[in-house]
Amino acid sequence: MIRVCDLMHRGVLYRYPDDNAKVIAEMMVTHQVRFVAVMDETGEVWGSVSMLDLLRFYGKDLEHTRADEIMRDYRIEVDPQWLLEEAIKLMKKRKIEHLLIIDPHAGPKRPVGILTDFDIVRYMSDIKVGDFEQLLKMGV
Amino acid sequence: MEETVMHLMKKGAITCRENCTVREIAQIMVVNRIGYCVVVNEKHEVVGIISPRSILKVFGMNLDATKAKEILLPYTITITPRSPLSDAIELMNKKRIDHLIVVSDRPGSKAVYGILHGEDLVRAMAGVGGEA
Repeated sequence: MIRVCDLMHRGVLYRYPDDNAKVIAEMMVTHQVRFVAVMDETGEVWGSVSMLDLLRFYGKDLEHTRADEIMRDYRIEVDPQWLLEEAIKLMKKRKIEHLLIIDPHAGPKRPVGILTDFDIVRYMSDIKVGDFEQLLKMGV
Repeated sequence: MEETVMHLMKKGAITCRENCTVREIAQIMVVNRIGYCVVVNEKHEVVGIISPRSILKVFGMNLDATKAKEILLPYTITITPRSPLSDAIELMNKKRIDHLIVVSDRPGSKAVYGILHGEDLVRAMAGVGGEA
């Protein structure tokens, strides 16, 4: 049985609530991600900004828009030991592409990783990490 | 002058046929590192689009027996290169998708012309090769 911890990425990209939206856009571009967590100095998560959240501010003054103005409040607690099916059910119910994973041993609202819909698609594709270059050579 | 989709779209798209299996589509996404696959018919007309979320819907089912046509999001939105960018962004948020299929301006055409990627919009917002 596959658990969330088997597929999630360890570590979370984050910014502070008073950082501006342009910094978040730059972070998404630099790291090629579609999601940035918003955390305070203590490491407690306040919310998250997805690519679609950011796109609502296209053409606006990003340098004067704070992260806490565009973020969605984070209220979902996902344990690394959850079965993958539970995480998928939650993603479908909330119509979200990413889940922040909270380690209960690290304390409440302390994310330890992230699980994206693409991580699950990679698992479903049945392509092993070592097979990747081979597939590229074959032009699949 | 109002910014149009043409400013930021990319010409061409990764496509598959309606009878492709979900496993094949997942592999297309992983190998090409993309978060969409456009489903086309034999005339190369757009039938719909498949996102990672569409694939998650059939988790646990037999992926080698489930076809693209069973999970695709039907193509109902007409975005052309001349559509205002603001309309495209509004649609992305309404439908909760970060890719839009762009079709030719030709009346009645459903041939794929390109894709508007959310990543390209964010790149423009970050000031990397765009106008936002």
